[in-house]
Amino acid sequence: MLSIIFFLEAISAFAQALPSQIDSIGTDGLGRPVVQGEVPRRIVSLQPALTEAVCALGECQRLVGVDRYSSWPAEVIAALPIVGGGFDPSLEAIVALQPDVVLLTRAAPIRPRLEALGVRTLALDAENQAGVQRMVDSLALLLGKPEAGRQLWQRVQASIDATARALPADIRGVRVYVEVSRGPYAAGASSYIGEILARMGAVNIVPPEMGAFPLVSPEFVLRSAPQVMIQGNADTPPPPGWERLEAVQAQRVCRFAPQQANILLRPGPRMDEAAQLLAQCLLEKAPRHAPVGN
Amino acid sequence: MPRSAINWLGSALVLASLGLLVLGIAVGSTGLESLWRLPHDAVARQIVWEIRLPRSLGAWLAGALLGLAGAVSQGLFRNPLADPYLLGSASGAALGSAVALVFAGAAPAGVLWLARLGMTGMAFAGAAAAVFLALMLAQGAQQGLRLLLAGVVVGVVLGAVRDALELRYPDILQPMKAFGLGSTAFVGWPACALMLGTWLLCAGAAWGLARALDGLALGEATAASLGLPLGPMRLGLIAVLALATGTAVAQTGLLAFVGLAAPHLVRSLVQAPHRISVLLASGMGAVLLLAADILARALLAPQELPVGVLTALLGGSYLLLLMYRRRSRDWSS
Amino acid sequence: MSKAAAHALRAASVGVQMRQRWILEGVDVAIPPAAWTAIVGPNGAGKSTLLRALAGLQPLARGHVELLGQPLAQWSRRARARQLAWLGQGEAAPTDLRSYDVVMLGRLPHQGWLAAPSAADHAAVAQALHATHAWAWRERPLAQLSGGERQRVLLARALATQAPVLLMDEPLANLDPPHQGDWMATVRQHIAQGATVVSVLHELGIALQADRLIVMQAGRVLHQGATADAATRAALEAVFDHRIRVRQVEGKWMAFLE
Repeated sequence: MLSIIFFLEAISAFAQALPSQIDSIGTDGLGRPVVQGEVPRRIVSLQPALTEAVCALGECQRLVGVDRYSSWPAEVIAALPIVGGGFDPSLEAIVALQPDVVLLTRAAPIRPRLEALGVRTLALDAENQAGVQRMVDSLALLLGKPEAGRQLWQRVQASIDATARALPADIRGVRVYVEVSRGPYAAGASSYIGEILARMGAVNIVPPEMGAFPLVSPEFVLRSAPQVMIQGNADTPPPPGWERLEAVQAQRVCRFAPQQANILLRPGPRMDEAAQLLAQCLLEKAPRHAPVGN
Repeated sequence: MPRSAINWLGSALVLASLGLLVLGIAVGSTGLESLWRLPHDAVARQIVWEIRLPRSLGAWLAGALLGLAGAVSQGLFRNPLADPYLLGSASGAALGSAVALVFAGAAPAGVLWLARLGMTGMAFAGAAAAVFLALMLAQGAQQGLRLLLAGVVVGVVLGAVRDALELRYPDILQPMKAFGLGSTAFVGWPACALMLGTWLLCAGAAWGLARALDGLALGEATAASLGLPLGPMRLGLIAVLALATGTAVAQTGLLAFVGLAAPHLVRSLVQAPHRISVLLASGMGAVLLLAADILARALLAPQELPVGVLTALLGGSYLLLLMYRRRSRDWSS
Repeated sequence: MSKAAAHALRAASVGVQMRQRWILEGVDVAIPPAAWTAIVGPNGAGKSTLLRALAGLQPLARGHVELLGQPLAQWSRRARARQLAWLGQGEAAPTDLRSYDVVMLGRLPHQGWLAAPSAADHAAVAQALHATHAWAWRERPLAQLSGGERQRVLLARALATQAPVLLMDEPLANLDPPHQGDWMATVRQHIAQGATVVSVLHELGIALQADRLIVMQAGRVLHQGATADAATRAALEAVFDHRIRVRQVEGKWMAFLE
C-alpha cells in the first residue's frame, strides 16, 4: 500500500520541518507570551520537572496543586493536593484550586478545556539541554526573577562540568547505551542525558539523527555492542539475546532504583544530580583503557 | 405485552436519565460542597455549571450517539456482535487524533487550518474518512459481507499507520493511550451542543430509514421484493452510523461496549420494530454511559476511574445476569 | 382485454450466468393468470434461479422478464412490490420481532413513507394470519416458535401483501401434512379470486395438484404444460430418469418411487 507509505512520509516531513520548541525568549512552547500581568500567586503544575523547576527557583510556596508523579521536594509535595496525572487530571479539582496559571506540556489533552474555562495555561516541554534552559528561563520570567533563572542554570552547568572533569581520563570514549523505558526506548545523543554523557566523554551508540528518545530495535543494540548499559527503569525484562551482550556478560549494567530513576529521567533543575548518578555509574562500570572512538 | 412494555421501557429510560443528570451535578472531586456553596461561590458555580453539567450531559449524549450507532450497525449487518466501530471508524478517529497530536500546536503556516481543527475535529475527519474508504473498497453498500470485510481491512491498515506514527513520535503515546481508553472528562458546552445537534439529526434519519432495517432482517431478496430502495437506504444508514460514531468518538475517545451492549439490553427487554428499538437503544446507551461516568467520578473520589472500564463492567454484568436468567428459565420450562 | 393480459409473467430467452457457468440458458416460460404453476426438476436444475428471475431479484445476462405485459425494468419499485409477492427459500427470520410485526412487514409496499399501519393494513394482517392458522401466536417473537409455526408466519407475510402474483420457493418447508393441505387450500382460494401462484416444490405429490408444470433440467426448460396433459407427466418421469412413476390414485395424480 504505497499510499500509506507516502502518507507517513508526508507527516514525517511536516513534523521534521517544525521546530521542537518555538525559538524565542519570552514565549512558551505554543508561542504565547510568558509574562502577562502580575506574577501568578497560585500555580498548579501537571509535570514533575516543572514542579521541581518552580521549587528550584525558590517559589515553592506559590504551588497550590501538583500531579501525582511530582515527587520533589518531598515535604512540600506531601502537603499539596494532588489533581491527578499529567494526561488524566481532574478538571474539577484544578478549577476548584482557582489557579492563576497551570503548567503543562504541549500535548496535554486537558489544555483546550482549561483554556475554554478561562484558566491560563503555560506549555513547556524539554528534551535536550537547550530546551531545559529555555524552560528554566521562561519559568524564571514568569515568576518575576529572571536573574534567579540564570543563576540556577549556571549553577547546574557548573556542577555538571565539575562532575565530568572529576572522571578519570581513561574512561573517555566508552560506548554507552541508555535505556529509558520498555520498548526499548533509548536516550539518544541529542537528548539531555546524551549531552551530559557526551560531556563526560562517553560515546552514545544512538546517533543524533535518530532523535532524542527513539524506539530502537534490540538488534541495533546488539550490533552496536555498547560497553556500558544504563537502565533507567530497573523492572524491564531484558529482550531475548541480551545475554550475549558484552556489557551484560561483564556485568557492566547500571540499574537505578525508582527514586534515582526519577532524578535521571526528568529534564529539569536536578540535572546536576542526574550527572552525578551517571558519573558514578561510569566510574564503577566503564572498562578502563577503552579505545578512543568507535 | 408489546405496547405497554415499550412504553414502560421508554418511560424508565427518561426517568433514569433525569435522575442520573441530577446525580451528575452532585458528584465530583469536590463533592456536594460545591452544590451547597452554589449561591455564594463563583467557583462553585463554575464547577457545577461549566464542568459537571456539561460533562454529565455530554456523557448522556455520547452514550445516546453510540447506542444509536450500535443499533443501526447491528441491524445493517444483521449481526448481534456488530458495534459502531465496525467500518473502521475507530481506527480512523484514532489516526486523526494521532496526526493532530503530532502537529500539536506547532503546525507550519500551510496547515494551520488543520491545527485549528484540533484533536476533536481531526478525530471526526478520520472516522468519516475511514468509512468513506471502506465504502470505496467495497464498491458501494450493495453487499453487506463485502462492506464488512472492507471495514475490517480499513480498520487494520489505519491502525497500523497509527502504530507507526506512535513509534516515530513516542511523545504522543500517553495521550493516545488515554484516547483509546475513552474519557468523558473533556466535554464542554460547545461539545454538548454539537452532539445534541448530531443526535437529533441521526435519530431522525435512523427513525425514517428504520424500515430498511426491518426489511433487511427478512433477507436481502425479500427486502428488495417488498419494494424497498435498498441501495440508497443503506447508504443513508451508513452515513448515520459514520456521523454518530465520529462525533461521539471525537469528543470522548474510544469508549468500548456501549454501542455493542445497548441494543442487546433493549432487545432482551422488549421486541419492537426497528424504528422504536433504535431510539430505545439510543436511550439505553445514554443511561449506560452516564451511569458509568458518575460511578467513575464517585467510586474513588477524588481519583477517577477510566470510564471505559466501568461501561464494560456495567453493561457486561447486566448482560450476564440476563443470560443466566434466560438459561434458568429455559431449563425449568 | 389486450394481449398484454394473456400472461401474468413471461420470461423471454432468459439467461443467467454465475462465474462463467450458465445457471439458466435460453429459458422461455409463460405463466398464465389465475392459475397455479409449479416448477419442478432435479436438484441443481435452476428452479430457484428461475423463480428469482421471474421476481426480478436476479440480474439477467440475457433476455428479459415481463410482468403483466410490461418489462420488469419499467415497473416502479413500489408498483412492482404491490403486484408481486415473494417468499424465499429458508428465509432469514428476524428472531426478535413479534409474529404480528413480521407479517405487517408484508404491508410495506402499501404503506406511506413514515405512515403508521392503517386499518386496512391491520385487516390484511389478520386475514393472512388466519389463513395460515398462525393467529394464536401473533404476539410471540419468532425465536420462540417451532420451524413449522415460523414458516406459517412467513407465509402469512407473503399473503399479507395481497398481491395478485405470488411467487414462493419451497413454501412447505417444515410443514406437516395437515398444514400442507391448508396451504394448498389457501392457494386454491387465491386463484379462485384471480391471483396467480408460481411455486418451486420438491414435494412432487403436491406439485402434481397444480394446474401447470414447468419441468426443468440443467438450466433449461424441458417441458411446460398443463398437468392434465400426458406429455407433461411423461416429461416429469423422464427428467427423473424414469425412477419415478406418475399414476392416478383416487382421482388424484401421485408420484411413486420405482
